Parts: sequence; C-alpha cells; structure tokens
Amino acid sequence: MQGFALYPFDPPSDIAALRTDLRAWLAVNQLQGDLVARANCWVSFDAGFSRALGAAGYVGMTLPARYGGGDRHPLERYVVIEELLAAGAPVGAHWIADRQTGPLILRYGSEEQRERYLPGIAKGELYACIGLSEPGAGSDLAAVRTTARETAEGWRINGQKIWTTGAHFSHIMLALVRTEEGSERNAGLSQLLIDLATPGITIRPIIDMAGHHDFNEVFFDDVLVPHGALVGERGQGGQQVTAELGLERSGPERYLSSHALLVALIDAAGADPDPAVATLIGELTAEMWTLRQLSMSTAAKLAAGEDPMVEASVVKELGNAFEQDMPRRVQAIVTSGWDDPDDLAKLLRALLIASPSFSLRGGTREVIRGIIARGLGLR
Amino acid sequence: MSAARDMLCDTASAVFTEAASVGIGPVEDAGFGLLLVPEADGGFGGDWGDVNAVLWIAGHSVPDLPVAALILSGLGDVDPALHAAATVSLMAGAMGQALTLSIDHVNTRQQFGRPLGKFQAVQQSLAVMACEVRAVEAAAAALAARLDATGGDALAAGFEIAAAKLRANRAVGVVTSVAHQVHGAIGFTEEYDLHRVTVPLMRWRGTHGNDAHWAQILGRQVAGFGGRGLWEAMTARDA
Repeated sequence: MQGFALYPFDPPSDIAALRTDLRAWLAVNQLQGDLVARANCWVSFDAGFSRALGAAGYVGMTLPARYGGGDRHPLERYVVIEELLAAGAPVGAHWIADRQTGPLILRYGSEEQRERYLPGIAKGELYACIGLSEPGAGSDLAAVRTTARETAEGWRINGQKIWTTGAHFSHIMLALVRTEEGSERNAGLSQLLIDLATPGITIRPIIDMAGHHDFNEVFFDDVLVPHGALVGERGQGGQQVTAELGLERSGPERYLSSHALLVALIDAAGADPDPAVATLIGELTAEMWTLRQLSMSTAAKLAAGEDPMVEASVVKELGNAFEQDMPRRVQAIVTSGWDDPDDLAKLLRALLIASPSFSLRGGTREVIRGIIARGLGLR
Repeated sequence: MSAARDMLCDTASAVFTEAASVGIGPVEDAGFGLLLVPEADGGFGGDWGDVNAVLWIAGHSVPDLPVAALILSGLGDVDPALHAAATVSLMAGAMGQALTLSIDHVNTRQQFGRPLGKFQAVQQSLAVMACEVRAVEAAAAALAARLDATGGDALAAGFEIAAAKLRANRAVGVVTSVAHQVHGAIGFTEEYDLHRVTVPLMRWRGTHGNDAHWAQILGRQVAGFGGRGLWEAMTARDA
C-alpha cells in the first residue's frame, strides 16, 4: 500500500450527465411512501421498481450488449449504484443478481448459461440468491457439506443452506456444494446454478429480530439439476467464491445503506443547528466523505483488473463501524423517543435494530480484520 | 505516480535523512520552500499532490522539522486553513510510520514462544489501526486532489479541508494507543523511535483546528446544504 496515492476514479463518460439523468428518472419513478424501507434500502424488495430500472438501462449495466447488458464501464455502474443508495431506492430485488451473480456468470459461466440468465438479470426481472452458509458452515465456508453427485441424468443435490437472503423471491441460487465424495475442505467444492423451481427444494422463512423476512432456510431433497448447472471449474468453487466475496466488500452500500438517517438528522437540525448537533453532523460527514474516497479508489482498482482484497476489507470494516455508530450517536443527541411518529424517530429505531447485522453479512468483523492482518504481513 | 513526483520523493527522502540529524537547513538549501511557487516565478511549479507526497515522507521521517511551514512560506501570507491541509499529510505520514514500527515489532518480539503478531488479539488490534491509517491517507490524498482542482483555493476546498483534518484528528487516538499498546514498555522509552511520531500526532490533533473547531465548521456548512443537498454538494465537488 503506497501511503499517498489514491487510485484515480476516472470513468470514460460524462458522469455529471449520468447523475442528472438518473436523478430525474428517480424523481418520477421512485415511490416516496415507505420511509423505513429507504433506510437499509439494498434489502428492500420492489419488483416493479427493479423492472422499471432495468427497462431504463440501469441494471446489468456492465454486461455485454449481446446478453442484454448496457456495455457500460464498471465505474459508470458505480456512480449509478451510489446515486440509487443515496436516494434510498428499493434495489433489493435485483441487488444480488446485478452485483454478483451476473458478473460471476459472465466470468465463469458457459455460453448456454450466459444466454439463458443474463438477459433476465439485465431486465431487472431475474433475481438470484447466494447459497453459501449452512448450519455447520458460516465464516468457515470450507466446511460446506451439501453434496451434489454426478449421475447420468445430471447432478443430484442433497443438503441444506441457511441464512439465504432473498431465496423466497429469487429464481436462481448460485450454490457452493461438495461435488467430490469424501473430499475435505476447499478441495472438492464446486458452484452450481440451481433453478429454484426444481422439484425437491423447500424454502422456509426465518424472521429476523426486526420482524422482517429476508433470510431463509433452503432444503435440497434429492434435487436433480442438469449437467450444465456447473459454473466454472469443477472443484474450484472455493476459489471462485473467495473472488466473488471480494467484489461485494467495497461497494458504496458499505457506507450509504443507511444514508436516509443522516439526511433526516440534517433536515431536523435545520439551517442553524444547535452546536452539539452541528458537531455530530460534522463528524459523520467527515467519516462518510473519507469512506467515499476509499470506496471509489477501491472500485477504480477493481475496474482496472487489480485485486484490492485488503483495501476492500478496509472499506467494509470502516463502513460497518460508521453505520453501526451513526444511529447510536444520533440517538444520544436527539429528543425523538423510541415510538415517536416522526421520520427521524422511525429511521432511528429501524437502523438501531438492523445495525447488528452490518458487521455479520458479507464476512464477519473478525474475519475481515483477519484478512487485513494477513495483508499487513502478520499471521 | 508521475516520474517527476517519483524523483521529488527520492530527493525528499534523501534530504530528510540528512536533516534528521542536522535540522531544517538541508531542506531549505534543497529549495523545498519553492515547491508550490510557479516555474514562471522561479519556483518548482509543484502541485498539492506533490506537497502531499513530500509531507507524507516528512511526517514519516522528520515530524519535528517545520517542513510544512517552509513549503507554505513560498506562497507568502496564506489562508490558515492551508496549514491545516498540510498537517493532514504530515499526520498520514506519521501514522504510516507508527504502523510500520508496530508491524516490525510484533513480527520480531516473541512471547509465549511465538511472535506477538501470531496472536489473534494483536492481529485484530493492528487491523483496526491500519484501517484508521488508510482512512487518513485517503483523506490527505483526496484533499490534495481537491486543492489542485481549485487552484489551491482554501475557501473552495473548505469542505474537504474540514472533513480531512477532522478525520485525521479522530484517527489519532486509535493509532497512537494501539501502536503503544502492541509495543509494550519499549515503546514508552526515550531511546525507541515510536514517540518521535506519536507525540507529534498528539500535538497536531490540536494544531490548526482541533475536532470541535472543524466539526462545527463542517456541520454548519452541511446544515446549510440540507439533508439531500449534502449528497448533491459532495458529488458536485468531484474533481
């Protein structure tokens, strides 16, 4: 890590125009109804919004045009994502398909898989979930035990996934499964793209402590999928997943997902704020501005084909801390009560309750710090 | 990084090594007071990206010498906020050095039969510290880019100066405390180098605007933007 250089964020087109167009589109197409859904907005499901966003060309932006994508630069997509999050747009339906599954199918998938799935993803109509965690495999993904046996008809899958976000509305799951009988740890794991309408799959909701249904348990009982469901190389699933997780750590969602609360705090403070509130707004803004610089630099590095695993983990660690700290500090200073009906109180309550999950999803705080420590040359 | 900046950094490193034992003289003689002076006026014609790089090295190796003041003296009577901006770069460099010393120490010092760096508790602390260091480095670099985009106008870069100095101030606590904690008693001695960067960091936190100063300025500016206006203002300022 060179101490005094940021990787230049240099998209190929007129970014100001891209922002203006998208803001105008959002002014017409984003429903302003549910305030709480706008906080933590990347888990807010709205299929109608996702379809409209896809039709406007803001989903699958980096996918090639021959698969229905926009042929746009990754940093143009980055700008669109930060605008959507800052506006609190309900991007949860297509989020995982757009951010992870689409790019992964493009990179590792067969031609048949690309033609079959990518156009639907780019339309904002085909949704995906990620089948990694199992009852015995959380942070330790190499402990995955769900099996897929190759037979004459295809892969036969047995086992269970858990904590699967969005499985109940998704069309496909990209699952990490053990394809080699008797294999241990990362050897013998592969990724399969599973149509969730296949017989033998049972999806059960897990209601979270906020009363929301995002998580699920997914059971596989002798589920038969075609040979063509294998994504990438047989036995390389562990490595493919590690690369995929790196992609999801440094995005603007790590510091902008609860931006609605900062907006509400500033609006409630008014143009001539109380000094203590001004101090808090200043401190939160300084943190957010810094995180944005780090996230943009990391995105630029990713777009240039480098592998900023450590920088991406730094963004996640700092972003999680910021987003967990913000509701606590806002609550410490405002007069809104727990059950008050004003915007600030509602957002505050929702984010205080949601915030424990921030340093769990996408790699726990302890795992992320371990990755950073390894990057420092410790361990 | 450009070849010209590479050369500048090599020169700075060599001159600062000499200055570490004899004082600011060699830095003056090498012409660092002319770094920001335009070439047309007989200066080096450097930009704030150059200043950030040079001060990062100064913060790393000669934090007690007035290198920032020397560089800014070339511009005559400047807005005090530019001294705050320069201090952020010094702080980034000093924090980088505190991290380097800490990593070297925990990889060398053995207790319970293995290097301290093999203990997860130590690893997790240093990861937290490294995040703070990286944040300040990013703030310093982004501030320099904004100053270059505005022609060094402290008023036009007021948002970034406030945000960067405030962020740097807020990192000092974690960086100095983790660095000293992992060093143990040796880090608290006059002989060992750690205090040469941690004491300046403590000093700089209160120099050219402490937390309360910049938080008020930034908070009031943002209140003027309004809730949604913050995002619009921030993105409109991208270099």
